[in-house]
Amino acid sequence: MLSREEVLKIAKLARLTLTEEEIGFYQRQLTRVLDHIQDLNQVPTSKEGFVQHVPSDAQCFREDRVEPFLNHDGLINNAPVVENNCFLLPTLVEHS
Amino acid sequence: MSLEKYEAVIGLEVHAQLMTASKMFCCCPNRYGSLPNTNICPVCTGQPGSLPVINKKAMELGVRAAIALSCEVHPESIFARKNYFYPDLPKGYQISQYERPYSTHGHIVVQLKTGEEKRIGITRIHFEEDAGKSNHESYGTLVNLNRAGVPLIEIVSEPDMRNAHEAGQYLRALHSILRYADICDGNMEEGNFRCDANISVRLRGADKFGTRVELKNINSFKFVEKAIEYEIQRQVFAVESGEKIIQQTRSWNSAKNITEVMREKEEAHDYRYFPEPDLPKLVFSLAWLDQIKKEMPELPQETSIRFKKSFELSDYDASVLTGSKELANYFESVVSHSKNGKASANWVMNELLGRLNAANKEVESSPVTAIQLADLICKIDSGEISGKIAKTVFEEMFATSKDASSIIKEKGFIQISDPIALESAICKVIENNPSQFAEYKAGKVKLLGFFVGQAMKETQGQANPALLNELVKKILDR
Repeated sequence: MLSREEVLKIAKLARLTLTEEEIGFYQRQLTRVLDHIQDLNQVPTSKEGFVQHVPSDAQCFREDRVEPFLNHDGLINNAPVVENNCFLLPTLVEHS
Repeated sequence: MSLEKYEAVIGLEVHAQLMTASKMFCCCPNRYGSLPNTNICPVCTGQPGSLPVINKKAMELGVRAAIALSCEVHPESIFARKNYFYPDLPKGYQISQYERPYSTHGHIVVQLKTGEEKRIGITRIHFEEDAGKSNHESYGTLVNLNRAGVPLIEIVSEPDMRNAHEAGQYLRALHSILRYADICDGNMEEGNFRCDANISVRLRGADKFGTRVELKNINSFKFVEKAIEYEIQRQVFAVESGEKIIQQTRSWNSAKNITEVMREKEEAHDYRYFPEPDLPKLVFSLAWLDQIKKEMPELPQETSIRFKKSFELSDYDASVLTGSKELANYFESVVSHSKNGKASANWVMNELLGRLNAANKEVESSPVTAIQLADLICKIDSGEISGKIAKTVFEEMFATSKDASSIIKEKGFIQISDPIALESAICKVIENNPSQFAEYKAGKVKLLGFFVGQAMKETQGQANPALLNELVKKILDR
């Protein structure tokens, strides 16, 4: 069973605030998810994991050429709020 | 506080932007300074269904860096996803390399101010894409994704450095190598060469490392050295007063000259690394690696060895002149025209660099071109002007960017090599200094220098020094 502290740490990393009730709920639910992954671990795989399915002669490089994508406005207009051609978000703390 | 009881353990992580035309996994321009969000596409903004395709040139530059840093290059490596939530990371993960980077086990040899050399290990180099840029304003955070997907290499050193000076020298050497080999332009203001430092302190001689603190994104060599210096003192002071060092990330505040807490360190497994399923294993053919090796540009150490051999320079001179690619090119150009290695080295190092430093200029924007300086050196070598006059001429050249010839003409600086003109100047000096002349004649031969100096003054420094010396002696002994 995942501890209360572990659930709170995961919640913090996901920027979530949990109620007492939710802490208990996620302790049980996340434990079940992890148990399932334990089951998956029984499947024999190598360290390369699912990159293995790609044949090694599939290497495909791209030449270093610029081809500008013309509809960047289309990409920006997906954003709920745009300011100075930037995506505007609520104030955030620094992370890099 | 007894700093001597402690030693610092420093490891550096450098992110260097690769000089490609396009981004790492898409065809958007890798360009700084464009209007926000104009160099973006479905791939680098993480639109559903888009897939990355590797830029060959980025791989080539990465391999070149590995060779330049004496690293092993692995023919097979793996891209991995580093997962974290932040708005300037549109996919929710950064494509990087984790368990199997393309290159490991290198080193750089750095020169210390004590004159010693120190070998600093490089643990690994891996490829990764850059994130976008967040600008924090009072009304919110503005995200610009022009930088998202720009190709980087991260160069991780061994924790081999023990003080700020060693860290500074390592960074300078690394910066110079990457610029020489045309891998990274090294522009620190634009963030194309960024440094994070891991620092801990321990009692001298202890084998266990102390708790380390990470200093993030310091953008000049000077600040790196200052920040490390400050951080070492802060940690020693904390340990001495019984405090526990907390593993955290700090940043350098250059206005207050202190480091400040940014955040608590997230453990490595919080990034949930796993192999990138959208990219195959990264495979370099041996033939391609060979070709990259063959096409390697000359590196600073090789240039330095060549300078020493071709122009008979000392270790020190050669190391100064290869401090940057631009300076080495300037010097080569001077020497190829002046045909005088030692004089060219002296003029570049003493006169030119001194004035450039004082004027806070780089050699690229020197008011005196290499050809102009070479021309001045030729005029000394041919006896047209004396070395002393040349310094005055150079001062004028630096101030006005004019050629030596026109300054010499304007100021009437031509060297006097006419024995008759010199003889009359010498005779005048003797007439004006009868008592010194008598002393000389009575055996005080040391006064020869006095007469030479006075005669030089009499000719406003324009006398040919060798000839003047000879004539003074001849006339005094007559």
